[in-house]
Amino acid sequence: MEEGEGSNGGVFEGGLEVRVLVVDDSPVERRMVEGLLKKSGAMFQVIAVDSGKRAMEVLGLTDDKAEHPTVDHQKVDIILTDYSMPEMTGYDLLKTVKEQSCRKPIPVIIMSSENEPQRISRCRAIGAEDFILKPLQTNDVLRLRSYARPTELSPRTGTKRKMTLELMAENSGSDRRPRLAGLAVS
Amino acid sequence: MLPLCSRVLLSHPFSPMSLMALREQLNMLVNSMYIEGLLDQQFQQLQMLQDASSPGFVAEVINLFCEDAERILTELTKLVDQAVVDFQKVDAYVHQLKGSSSSVGAQNVKLACIQFRQFCEENNKDGCLNALNVVKHHYYLLRNKFDTMLQLEQRIQAYDSKQQN
Repeated sequence: MEEGEGSNGGVFEGGLEVRVLVVDDSPVERRMVEGLLKKSGAMFQVIAVDSGKRAMEVLGLTDDKAEHPTVDHQKVDIILTDYSMPEMTGYDLLKTVKEQSCRKPIPVIIMSSENEPQRISRCRAIGAEDFILKPLQTNDVLRLRSYARPTELSPRTGTKRKMTLELMAENSGSDRRPRLAGLAVS
Repeated sequence: MLPLCSRVLLSHPFSPMSLMALREQLNMLVNSMYIEGLLDQQFQQLQMLQDASSPGFVAEVINLFCEDAERILTELTKLVDQAVVDFQKVDAYVHQLKGSSSSVGAQNVKLACIQFRQFCEENNKDGCLNALNVVKHHYYLLRNKFDTMLQLEQRIQAYDSKQQN
């Protein structure tokens, strides 16, 4: 598992930080996505893992917490997962996350190299916020920002303003179409 | 073989002329890779991710790609050589290689993988054997060019570091 720098729970003075959990079994694609996220600005903190199982550990959704007592169940603002992975697919991960994070739902965005309408519908039907075709581009990464919205705290005299994040877990309508070449989404 | 003037210039590694020659050589190499179909515009995306905070990003990703590709090709060679081929397993590996080659802009490798997957879908062993050879051909051609590219970049960076010191 590779981790981004620093950890301050999604808050830093004067700006926004979004923790993105990147899940992809391909080391090349993981590194590319990580590079894209970091290049897009200082707002993304990236945690990259190579499997759905490891993603579950990061999210604290495994049954065997006793076996991993030192795992830091890190706060994650967005999950960006590949669809096709061995053992636990992105679909399986999506399903589990949506079932188990109902109090504070985490947005899940699926990445896939295959432009298959059935696959997209399946993922949308169980709550995927978006579906992005690989390889990812800069504008795909910029869209991720829309899945985390800041909540401004009341400013205190003499202190710098701090911002915390709330999650946008629900579909907001037409601006949430997946980036799919040649596919119209109703 | 480089022209004599280039060889003379390159024998003085830190002269301004040799730096220009190195940069020109690198540009020509990369351009030829686009023209020959080894690379597509996704490679530009990769190059754009390299900056002062990630100066070795391109080299890192290329090395990751090559390690991963060779691991996959080794597995594919074993699988396709079996008396009874597990086409699903083969397809899974080819899918991985297609994904990583697509990410770095390795166009010919990606296209060869797409063709390879077609043979997997048809459960065509001979087709898979041929397709594997095609993928290997394109991959090793690309790898040789990547090796040259990275060597040139290293030399250019060494010159730049020397200039700054």
